[in-house]
Amino acid sequence: MEIKNSSFLRKEDLARRTGLRLASCLAGILAIVTLFLPFSSFVFDGSVIRMTGMQLLVSNIRLSADLLIVIPVGLRICMILSFAAVGAGLVLLGMKKFLFAGTAFFGAVIFAVVEFTFIAGVTQTASRAGVSSADGGMLYGWTLFFLLALTSAILSVSVLGLEKSAEMIFKISALISIGAVVIITIYMFVYGSPAIVQIGLGKFLFGTQWKPTAADPQFGILYMILASLFGCIGAIAIGVPIGLMTSVFLAEIAPKWVRSIVRPSVELLAGIPSVIYGFWGMKVLVPFIRTTFTKLGYSTTGSGLLAVILILSIMILPTIVSVAETALKSVPSSYTEASLALGNTKISTIFAVQIPAARSGILAGVILGVGRAIGETMAVIMVAGNIVQLPTLFSSVRPMTAGIAFEMGYAENGLHRQALFGIGLVLFVFIMLVNITFTFISKRGVQMNAK
Amino acid sequence: MRNKKKDMVLGAFIWISAAITVVVLVGILGYILYNGLPHMTWSFLTTTYSASKNGSKGILPMIINTLYVIIVSLVLAVPIGIGSAIYLTQYAKQGRLVSIIRFATEVLSGIPSILFGLFGYAVFVVLFQLKLSIISGSLTMMICILPTIIRTTEEALLAVPGAYKEGALAIGAGKLRVTMGMILPCAMSGVLTGIILAIGRIVGETAALLFTVGVSGNAMPKGKNIFDALFGHILEQGNTLALHLYNSAMNGKDPVSVPFATASALLIMVFFLNRLAGILSRRFKK
Repeated sequence: MEIKNSSFLRKEDLARRTGLRLASCLAGILAIVTLFLPFSSFVFDGSVIRMTGMQLLVSNIRLSADLLIVIPVGLRICMILSFAAVGAGLVLLGMKKFLFAGTAFFGAVIFAVVEFTFIAGVTQTASRAGVSSADGGMLYGWTLFFLLALTSAILSVSVLGLEKSAEMIFKISALISIGAVVIITIYMFVYGSPAIVQIGLGKFLFGTQWKPTAADPQFGILYMILASLFGCIGAIAIGVPIGLMTSVFLAEIAPKWVRSIVRPSVELLAGIPSVIYGFWGMKVLVPFIRTTFTKLGYSTTGSGLLAVILILSIMILPTIVSVAETALKSVPSSYTEASLALGNTKISTIFAVQIPAARSGILAGVILGVGRAIGETMAVIMVAGNIVQLPTLFSSVRPMTAGIAFEMGYAENGLHRQALFGIGLVLFVFIMLVNITFTFISKRGVQMNAK
Repeated sequence: MRNKKKDMVLGAFIWISAAITVVVLVGILGYILYNGLPHMTWSFLTTTYSASKNGSKGILPMIINTLYVIIVSLVLAVPIGIGSAIYLTQYAKQGRLVSIIRFATEVLSGIPSILFGLFGYAVFVVLFQLKLSIISGSLTMMICILPTIIRTTEEALLAVPGAYKEGALAIGAGKLRVTMGMILPCAMSGVLTGIILAIGRIVGETAALLFTVGVSGNAMPKGKNIFDALFGHILEQGNTLALHLYNSAMNGKDPVSVPFATASALLIMVFFLNRLAGILSRRFKK
């Protein structure tokens, strides 16, 4: 306290506060000026078109009777938000809430940065439309606004002291994850539900006809859902035993030198991009299934549910191995020792004691695998054959993920595209259920181990 | 006697399962590299690409675009990720907020990339009218890699011995200085591991980029001046390596050596990143 009262520091503090007021007021004035004065100019066909910020905010740029440059909604939103942030900052400054004022100014800075990308986009569109000079005051105004807001932000920080404002910044960045989840959830519902409402939930989920481009379009995704489910169940049926046994091998049985081969293999398997799995499946697995099962008397092109199941079971292996291994290793050694002391062999101890004790961890791994298998897209799309029909082991199928990725390329705006977002919503709900179950089970596992 | 037999069978099953894992890996790697490496020549890596039948089939533009997406996504995600990790480990009191943040990152890491792709398309491409461009793709990838960076950085920060922090605090350093000058540098190799894992994810990502960066961007960065060329390219479409592999494998217009060689290039990159992450994380565990 004594140090703070020394006259030198007080002077410095005063200078900071004056600077802060000056910079933030200038930013505010500039915001108002940009709104009401024709700052932005576009030179088109020799004539200069001038527009105020307000005009840009509410209308598009009309160059001539039939030439219109559309201002992105994002630019408008960012403009409003950055102005509002500066305004809020000024008010908060008046109330001497430096912490919140600083946050508001930083917000203005961030929105101004986003603005730059938009303005660059508009400038590009304008020059493509034949505008010979489109920089105008827009860019300079924003640069100045950006610098002033940044100064205000930094000055509020220095008035406040670094410590508190740094904490604020860290906290905001931590909140971004929550924001992302919330926004993704909102958008999934906003974009996905119109189609479902229009088609009807029952008809959408349980309809068996998927003819999006027919004259009388049909949007039933039952076979896609079934294909996803069957693919996932099959992958779990094959992948879980192999994965579990591999994790037992790594945790308990393997000699050291073998472990040093198997463990990096599992890690590398996890790192291989899914598109490479897909490519390999397309080149090796599909021909193999075709030749083998044609010889056995089935008619199949090779691509289809079986290929999907096999490729997915390879892809979920690393997930299951690593989660199950951790679970096995956290089984208290007293359990194992007790079982061995009773005369059980090592193998029967593993199967009768260790695996049951680690079951909730193993279950968590399985659920994580389910999530991966349901959501996998690229590998699946390359081996599934992509025909919407009742999935059988040898028939071509189209799981939900493949349906989205396959048709987004050519779907017209309108119900077809909305229906794809509808599939996305169904998938999203599925994944969220899986996620919540996983969190619940892994928490319970931790609690059980703690006991 | 019966027990012994049962043990033998189960033991064999365990060994066979582990063998399957290794054999599958070797099979995939061997097949791709055997067919791809002979075609992965210097000129393949350094020439441009044209979609026409007899045009040049190099992958230089895709390599450049991949680098673009990596750099822009990292610039966006790393500060946020490190900031979150610092907040979670150094500032936050354990409570409801922290558990919500943890849950959010867990949910984010569980969302499949196709849904990120849909989201990125709806928000960045359509709503913000950034069109199919490297910036749309990078913004989407930013959300994808955030959980990875947060989790690894958090682990690395927690691994720094508490005595360092207490010592620094005791001699009068502020919390911010302790965090930025002491704990973060100590945790640097862990932070780098997270960044490398994130790069690996971006390099291999396809589904999230399919409708956000566009698949037809095979042009090299160009513009009136170097500034225009460098930064203007961020607003253009950019086909990445993994996307190129998908396209050239599926459309069948390119000779079959193109996807094989592209896949080999991808695999080598992933393998290299994987080793690097392994070495770094071992260093920080010491």
